[in-house]
Amino acid sequence: MSANGVALDALGDPTRRQIFDALRRGPRSVGELAGGLPVSRPAVSQHLRVLKEAGLVVDRKDGTRRVYRVDPGGLSEIRDYFDSFWNEALDRFAEEARKEQE
Amino acid sequence: MNTTVSEGIRKTVLVDFPPEQAFDLFTRRIAKWWPVHSHSYGGDEVTNVVFELEVGGRVYEVTDKGEQDWGRVLELEPPNRFLLEWLIGEACGTAVEVTFAPEGPGSRVVLEHRGFGASDPRDRYSSGWEFVLGRFASESRKA
Repeated sequence: MSANGVALDALGDPTRRQIFDALRRGPRSVGELAGGLPVSRPAVSQHLRVLKEAGLVVDRKDGTRRVYRVDPGGLSEIRDYFDSFWNEALDRFAEEARKEQE
Repeated sequence: MNTTVSEGIRKTVLVDFPPEQAFDLFTRRIAKWWPVHSHSYGGDEVTNVVFELEVGGRVYEVTDKGEQDWGRVLELEPPNRFLLEWLIGEACGTAVEVTFAPEGPGSRVVLEHRGFGASDPRDRYSSGWEFVLGRFASESRKA
């Protein structure tokens, strides 16, 4: 879907979307994320950096590993995005309905 | 029930024709009105939008490069309502429900998009249970 704001730009990349979807299922370390994806660990780290800068994920040190999870604030931006998304889509629906009625 | 998952989106539209026609326009004829230019992965390259009218059916866009899923039909009760699992990346795993009810000579179309903010796995379970229990409640009303 078309990007609106930094968070959605960050999710424009398919691999980043996969990483974000994995984190929506629960917190993961870089190693765990890399294990489930056909990309290298440094590439995963790079994607996580972009997601973090966009305010979509937060990280925390856990012993020697760094664990990432979804930032609820980022999700509220996505919710707001879909709020205007549906306004526009339903306007078009109502417009088409009016045309057919004429 | 968990309330943190219920801060959904709710939109209402009134149209001048009965639910049967409104439901048909929203689903089978979605390609006629969906604003693909701004509301799709492929933008102007989108050649079609398909809403498969069956439980488990797909909602997807078509371009020359292939197909891209938007959602999956979880429940379908034409012409009254449908429930989709919304599969678009950033909102993957959220739910979209649209109901069509008669209102005067026309219909009231209500869209709800729920399931945002479920970053905690326990929230995702409880939202799953809300769907299951909601479905159970609607089945038992029919019985």
